[in-house]
This record gives sequence, C-alpha cells and structure tokens, in this order.
Amino acid sequence: MVEVVSGIGLGVGLWFWFWGTPVLLTRHSILFKLHHLSVADTLGSMAIMAGLLVRRPREWPLLVLAVLSLVMWNTVLGYVLAYCASARQPVSVETPDGPNH
Amino acid sequence: MTLLQGVLWGMIAAFWLPLYPTLRRGDIWEVMLALSSVATKSSLILLMVSVIRDDWMMGLVGVITLSVGNAGFMLLAHLLRRLGQTGG
Amino acid sequence: MDPTIEVIALLLPLTAGLLVAETNPYRALVIRGVFGAMSSLLYGLLGAADVALTEALVGTLLAVILYAVAVRSSLVVRLGVLQQDFQAAAPEWVTLTTALQQAFKSWHMQVEWVPYEQSQALERALAEREVHGICTRSPTAVIQAKTRVYRLYEILQQEGVVPIVMYDQPVTSSEEPR
Repeated sequence: MVEVVSGIGLGVGLWFWFWGTPVLLTRHSILFKLHHLSVADTLGSMAIMAGLLVRRPREWPLLVLAVLSLVMWNTVLGYVLAYCASARQPVSVETPDGPNH
Repeated sequence: MTLLQGVLWGMIAAFWLPLYPTLRRGDIWEVMLALSSVATKSSLILLMVSVIRDDWMMGLVGVITLSVGNAGFMLLAHLLRRLGQTGG
Repeated sequence: MDPTIEVIALLLPLTAGLLVAETNPYRALVIRGVFGAMSSLLYGLLGAADVALTEALVGTLLAVILYAVAVRSSLVVRLGVLQQDFQAAAPEWVTLTTALQQAFKSWHMQVEWVPYEQSQALERALAEREVHGICTRSPTAVIQAKTRVYRLYEILQQEGVVPIVMYDQPVTSSEEPR
C-alpha cells in the first residue's frame, strides 16, 4: 500500500517535471516558459516530496520544511521573474544631482 | 529501492535539460529561468538521495540550499531589470 | 562509485566551459549561478555537507551579487551634459542617445547621462574624473564629445557616432610659458 501510494506520488512528480522542463528548449515566449516551469517545479516537486514523505515518515521535518520553502520561494520568484522580464524600460536619465554627490 | 533509483535517474535526466538555454544566444531571462530550474532540481535530487541513503545530513543541506539560495537570485533579477540589459 | 554521481559530475566541466566561453558579462553571471548550484549538489552527493553549504551560500549568493555590483559599476559610461541642453529634448539628442546605445551594445556597456547646471561645473566634473566624458553643443549647434578615457575615444572614433576630442589632463596647474 505504502509502495503504491509513494510510487504514484513520485511518478506524478516526475511526469510534471518532464512536462514542464522541455519547454525551455522551445522558442515560446518567456511568460509561457515561466508558467510551465513554475508548474513543473512547484507541483512536480511537491508530488515527489509527498511520495518520499509517505515512504519515509521518519524524515518528516526535513520534507515538510522543504515543501514549505519550495512553495514560498517558487511563488515569489515566479512573480518577480514575470515582473522583471515583462517590464522593459529604456535607459533612464539619472536624477539631476549635479556635481555635489 | 529500485523504484527510487529509477526516479533518481529520471530526475538527473531532467536536470540536464536546463543546460540548453545557457548554450543558446537568446534572451538573458531564459538563462535566469534555467538557473531557477537548476536550483530547485538540485535540492530535490539532494533530498531524494538523502532518503535513498537514509542520511539526514544531506537532506538538511538540500533544505538549506532550497530556502536560502534563492535570495541572491531575486536580487540578481532586480538588478538585471534595472539595467534594462537584454543580452545577446 | 555510484554512476548517478558520475553523470552529475559530467555536468560540471561542461558548465565551466560554457561559463568561460561566454562573452556577455551578465549572462556569464547567471551561468556562474547555474554552475554554483550544480557544484553544490555534487559536493552534497559526495558527502561534503559543509563544502556544499559554503558553495550554496558564498558561491551562488555572495559571489554573484558582488560580481553583479562590480560589472554594473565598471561597464557604465557616465557622460556629463548641460541641463538646459539636455532638457530641450531636441531630435539630435534622441538620435545621439540611440546611436550611442547601439555603439556601446557590442561592448556590453551602458550610457548614463549626468546633467549639470553650468558649463564650469561640467568642465570641472571632467577634470576631476567625476564623469568619463562630456557632450556639449557648440555655437553651430553641433554636438561634440570630449573624453579623458583613451579607450572610449578609440571606440567612439571607430564607431563615428559623434565627433570626439581627447581631453588632456594638465600635469600641473601652473601655466606653461608661451
């Protein structure tokens, strides 16, 4: 039973990884790639860690911590990357601070 | 343990994929995407191996890498955006 | 040895080669981050937890940030202009800005305009090495550039976007006999 549940988790996670990561090799837009990659890296990694957690409940503090930091960082990073990659501004003129700086 | 070994081989195969955007002369943000992918995948592989070997130390390293290593990456993203540098 | 470790170790020289072959400094920075993540994984797999942590914290966080600051501060050309000239938003300034961006793009350099109030302040900024060069408008409405960096002079003369002269720094402040 444990084997089957953990195998399903690991398989789903690996499938997510291989669904999202090869998008990097294509020539789609950056936001398309970002969407696929964040889904693959967040959901796939969470599924893999759930599979590991079922198989090895003794190491739960590590795995729960990893899941929490993964979810937090990947959400923030996805937002920051989307914001930074889509906002293309021209070279800006520095504020007129004159010679006294 | 053979299932875990097979999954580990699959993860390593996926780990090789983000190397391609660094090879291609494209947008610098694609390299940033590859970096985020590599960072996540490397700590996941470390966690996986720690479960296979039943080794707490390696798992701890993976978790710390996952939670701390991304901060510099965010700073770098903001710096690159401020530069307006698109690479190529 | 475990074959999985060998396959991951193979990534390291490959990424290092890519890093060395990269000419754009910003892309090289990001590839340095990729390399740091990979080597941290390898050290962890080989059982060196302390080295892996150090690589993750110093190699990918501190080194990348420090290099980014260094590249940012060294690959920017600061050009001084007069406030009243620049605020006119004349078409020749727009043309000059885009032409300079194009010219510096192959050197991965950025142009940063520093406005000054008076022409004396502008000249003094050039003399005191506050800016790398200045752009002034002559009475015949032609924009001229003056620089004290010889390499900048070479690049701009080669690209030919703006007439440029070299600024000779006086060795002493005393006047030369005529």
